[in-house]
Amino acid sequence: VSLTFLSPAAADPSAVARSPMERKAKAAGARFEARDGWNVAVEYPGEDKVPGTVAWADVSHLRKLELQGEGVSGELGEARREGDAWICRLTPTRALLIGGEHTPPPDAVEVTTCFAALTIFGPQAREVIARFCALDLRPQVAPPGSFRPGSIARQPGMIIVEDTDRFLLLFGWAVGEYMWTVVDDAARSLDGGPVGFGALKKND
Amino acid sequence: VSRLANQPGELINRDKVIRFTFDGKPVEAYEGDTVGSALYADGRRTFSRSFKYHRRRGLLCCAGQCPNCIVAVDGAPGVRACTEPVREGMRVEHLNAQPGLELDVMRATDIVGGPFTPPGFYYKTFIRPRKLWPVYEKVLRHAAGLGVLPKQQPDREWRTEYRRRHADVLVVGGGTAGQRAASAAAERGEDVVLVDEGPVPIEPIPGVEILARASALGYFDGIVPVWQCDTLHQIRARNHVFATGAIEQPLVFAGNDLPGVMLSGGAVRLTELYAVSPGSRAVVATTSDHGLHAAAKLADAGVHIAAVADLRESRSAAAEQLSARGIEVLIGHQILEARGRTAVQAAVVGPIGVEGASVEKTFDCDLVVVSGGFAPAMSLLLQAGARTRYDAARGCFVLDELPPGVTAVGDVAGVDEAGADADAAAVAVPPPVAGAGHGKCFACLCEDVTAKDIKLSVEEGYDSIELSKRYTTVTMGPCQGRMCQLPAIRLMAKETGQSLEQVGTTTARPPWVSVPMGILAGRPFEPAKRSSIHGRHRELGANIKWAGDWRRAYDYGDPQAEALAVHRAAGLIDVSTLGKLLVRGPDAGEFLDRLYPNRFSDLKPGRIRYGVISSDAGRIVDDGTICRIDDDTFYVTTTSSGAGAVEEWFSWWLADWRMRVQLTDLTQGLSAVNLAGPRARDILAELTDLDCSPEAFKYLDGKQANVAGVPCLILRIGFVGEVGYEIHFAAAYGEHVWDALMEAGRDKGIRPFGLEPQRILRLQKMHILVGQDTDSESTPFGAAMPWIVKLDKDADFIGKWALEHYAEEEPATRLVGFTLPNGHVPTEGAVVMDAAGAPVGQVTSSRFSPVLDRVIGMAWVPSPLASDGSQVTISDEGTTMRAEVQTRPFYDPDGEVLRS
Repeated sequence: VSLTFLSPAAADPSAVARSPMERKAKAAGARFEARDGWNVAVEYPGEDKVPGTVAWADVSHLRKLELQGEGVSGELGEARREGDAWICRLTPTRALLIGGEHTPPPDAVEVTTCFAALTIFGPQAREVIARFCALDLRPQVAPPGSFRPGSIARQPGMIIVEDTDRFLLLFGWAVGEYMWTVVDDAARSLDGGPVGFGALKKND
Repeated sequence: VSRLANQPGELINRDKVIRFTFDGKPVEAYEGDTVGSALYADGRRTFSRSFKYHRRRGLLCCAGQCPNCIVAVDGAPGVRACTEPVREGMRVEHLNAQPGLELDVMRATDIVGGPFTPPGFYYKTFIRPRKLWPVYEKVLRHAAGLGVLPKQQPDREWRTEYRRRHADVLVVGGGTAGQRAASAAAERGEDVVLVDEGPVPIEPIPGVEILARASALGYFDGIVPVWQCDTLHQIRARNHVFATGAIEQPLVFAGNDLPGVMLSGGAVRLTELYAVSPGSRAVVATTSDHGLHAAAKLADAGVHIAAVADLRESRSAAAEQLSARGIEVLIGHQILEARGRTAVQAAVVGPIGVEGASVEKTFDCDLVVVSGGFAPAMSLLLQAGARTRYDAARGCFVLDELPPGVTAVGDVAGVDEAGADADAAAVAVPPPVAGAGHGKCFACLCEDVTAKDIKLSVEEGYDSIELSKRYTTVTMGPCQGRMCQLPAIRLMAKETGQSLEQVGTTTARPPWVSVPMGILAGRPFEPAKRSSIHGRHRELGANIKWAGDWRRAYDYGDPQAEALAVHRAAGLIDVSTLGKLLVRGPDAGEFLDRLYPNRFSDLKPGRIRYGVISSDAGRIVDDGTICRIDDDTFYVTTTSSGAGAVEEWFSWWLADWRMRVQLTDLTQGLSAVNLAGPRARDILAELTDLDCSPEAFKYLDGKQANVAGVPCLILRIGFVGEVGYEIHFAAAYGEHVWDALMEAGRDKGIRPFGLEPQRILRLQKMHILVGQDTDSESTPFGAAMPWIVKLDKDADFIGKWALEHYAEEEPATRLVGFTLPNGHVPTEGAVVMDAAGAPVGQVTSSRFSPVLDRVIGMAWVPSPLASDGSQVTISDEGTTMRAEVQTRPFYDPDGEVLRS
C-alpha cells in the first residue's frame, strides 16, 4: 500500500479531474479544455468585456504538496517563489508548495485536492476580498510575496499575494462551490467577472 | 411656507425640485433637503407619536440624535427624517399612530391612562390570569414600538455589504478637530480613515479615506463597525481618534416634548443649512452663551425673539448684545412650561428659586428654543475603556482616563472646535426639573419616561441609575442616552440625595446609532461543505439535508428500498464527509497507541482496525477505522461530525508529546464511497485489476488499486453489514469514480443510497453512531465494547486511569438492542422506564428494518436488564410499550455475511 491514491497525476489519462467549482463555472458559460488530465475553464463568454476592475479564475488544478520535516525553510508570513511554484511555510516543520512541476521531495504529501484555489486580480481585487475576509492585505502590510493564512468567508484558508493586485486564495476543496458563490457575489457588485485560464496567463 | 431667502452655507439646490410623499400626500423639496427640513418647510410640525403616551413629537435636534422624527421610508422603519436626504419618489410614512398621525386613538393612554401606566406597569398589570398573557402580549406589542417590519419584504433584495478595512488611524468625527487629527496623521505617512455622519460634505484630505454620512456603531476590542448607506465597514485600526463632539442637552420642564420645542442647534441647523424658518415667534431658554448666539442667528433670519431666559446669574456680553437689539433677556430665569394643544402656543418663564404665578411671565410663541449645555459624546470612548468623572463646573461628565491607542480631540475632550478650552464658568447647571405640577416633564423622550417616573422608581427601591434604567427603560431608546442620560442622572441625584459623581453613568453599549438588522447581518451566505459528488446526488433527485457543516444526500426518495437494495444486490453511498487523517513518522504507531485504548503499533501494513477515541475521563468521543499504509504511515478515519475535533485533538497532543509524527488532514482532499452488497465484489472487480476474491482481499484488508483508472485506497470494512468496500481517492475524481461504479453496477441492481438507509443498515448491525447512541457519559464498557480497551498495553494512553476504574465497576446502564413487537417506532429519545414508572434509560436509535420486517432499536437500559430476552418498558409521548432486549446484532450476528 502506498500514498499514490492521494495523487491526481497518477490517474489514467481516461480519467478526468474536476474542480469543485466546475459546475459553477459551467453555469457561468465557461468553455473547458483538458489540460494535464484536468478539465480546465479556459474562456468565458464576454470575458474580454470584463472591465479592468476585478476578475477571478479557478486554478484548483495547481499542484499542492505538503513538505514535512526539519529541512523546511522560509519565513512565517512569506511566500517564496521557486520557479513556477510558491513555497509557504506553515509551521517550523511543514510547508506548502503550490504550483510548479518539479519532482517532489520523497517525504512530500500530495494535497492537491485538499485545497481549491482562485486567483483574484485587478485594481479592485483587494476590495473584493475585503468583502468576505478580514486579513490585512494593504500593500504596505502585505507586499507581493506575502503569505497570509486565516479566515476567508468564515472558512479556513490562505492567501498568497502574487503581485500588487493579484491574490491566490486557497481554501478547502469541499467549500469550493460556496466560495465561488461568495466571490462571484462580491466581485460582480464591483463589475467583475470570471475569466478563463487563458486570460489569467495573459495577466502573468 | 417656512422657506427663507438664500442663507449663506445652505445645502439645498433651489434649482432642482424633488418630489416625494408623506403618508400618501405629495411633498415638494429641494435637492439637498432632508425629509425633516422638507416636511417642516411644508408646514408639518408633528412628525411622530411618542412610544408610550402617543404624544405629538416634532423636530428637536435636526441632527439625528433624538427620537422625535423617526419615520418609515419605503417600508423600512426607524429612519430619522431630520438626517435622511430626500430622494425622488421616496415613500415616507409615520409610525406608531392609528388611525393617523393627527388623530391617534392611543393618545388616550396619555389623557386618562397616566395613573395606570407608571413604569413597570406591564409587570404589575398584565400578569393575571396567566393564560391571557398571549393576548396581552399581542395588544402591548401592537400598541408600543417604533414601527412594524413588513412580513413580506420584497425589497429585501436591497444589497447589504460588509467591508473590512485596516488602517493605522481611525478618526471618528469629521468636525474641525477630527479633520485636523486626520490630516496630521496622514502627513506622518499613516493610513487614515475618517468617519463622519454629518450632512456637510468634507473636502478631500490627501492620504485620508473619508467615509461620509457614515456612523460608527460601537467599539469591539479594537474593531469599529461603521454603517454607511448599505455597507457595514469593519474597521480595525492601530490607533483611534474620537472627535465625536458634544451633544446639546434639552431641559426638563412641563410640556418639554411639544412640537415647537427645539434645541438651539436644531433651530439653527434648520435655518442655516436648509433655509427653513423654525418659527415666527420664539422664546429661548439657555444655560450658556450658545443659546444666546442661537437667538441672535434666529433673529437675523427673521424670527421674532419674544424673550430669552438665561439660567445664569450674571449677564454675559452676548446677553448685552441681544439686549442692545431690543430682545428681552431675563437673567436667572428658567422656562417652566411650554403650552399648546398640538404645538407650542406659549411659554411660561420664571425666576430660578422663586415660585408662584406672580413672578411667572407668559409669552405667546410658536417656538421654544432650549439649550441645556453640552454633554461630551463619550459612548464610543467608554466602550473602548475610557473612564469619566463628573465636572461640577460644567455640570456634566467628562473624560478622565483613556486606554492606550485611543485619543479624544475637540469637544468630546473638553476643547471646543476653535481649539480653546471650553469656558466652564460661562455655563449654568440647570435644575433637574422645572415646572413640575404644570404637566408631564419628560426626562426621556424615546421611552416617555417622566421626572415623576424616575422618582417613583427610586421610591420602589430602584435607587441606582442602572436599576432605574432597567425599570423605567430610561436611556434605552433610540437616542441611546444622548438626550436623557444627564437629565436622568440629575433626577436620580435629586431623589436619592446623592451627588452626581456618586450616581455615576450607565454602561455605554453598542450600537451608538440605530442600525437596520440587515446591515448587521451582511450578505446571507452560509458556509457549506459539499462532496465532489454532490452534483450527481442533486441530479439523482436526492433529498439533501444538513449533516454538520456538510450538505448530504439523506435519501433518494425511498430509504427502505435503498436499504433493501444493499442486502439484495448492491448500494453505493457517498461517505466523503468522513474525517481522514494521515499520521506519518517513526513514532506514528506509538502516537496512536497513546490516543486510542486499543493497540495500533502491532497492526500489520495493509490491515485495518476499528478504534474508539476516549477522553481523559474514559468517555467515548469519536470512532473510526485505522489502516496501516506502511511501517510509518497510518490512514485514520473519523466520524463526519467529529473530523475537526479529532484533528485538533491529535494536533494538541502531538504538540505536547513532541513525537516524530506529521499529521495531515485529508478530509476535504479525498472522496470516499462505500460500495456494499452481495454484488459489490463483482462490480468492483469490473473496474480494477485487483484480485477481489475473499481469499485475496479479506475483511479488514486495506489495498491500493486503480478503480476506473483512478488510484484508490480500498478498505474492506462493513459498516452497513454487507460485503463492503470503502473506496478513497483524490476528490477531483469524485464524479468519475461514482459514475464508473454506477455504470458497472447497472446490470447488477446497484442503487445509490443515502444517510437514512445507511442508518437503518448500521442499526441492524448495532454499529453505534457516536453522539447519537453515546453521550458525554458513555464509556466503552457501557457501550458493549469492553474488548476494545487494552488495559494490558505497555504504553499509557488517554483515559487509561479512568477506564481502569470503570473496568472494575458494573456500569449502571448498558447499550443494548431491542425489538418491538407492536410495530410502533419509538421516538429517538423515548424513555426507558422501570417497573415503578421511573425513567431509567433512553432510546437512542430506532427504525423499521425492511429486511427483518420488524422494529429495531438501541437503548441504554439498567445493567440487570441488559441480557437477551429481558423485557423493558418504553414510554414514548404518552404511549407505553414492551420491548425485548437483544444484545447481539439483529442482522448477521456472527458476521458471516460481512466476512464472506
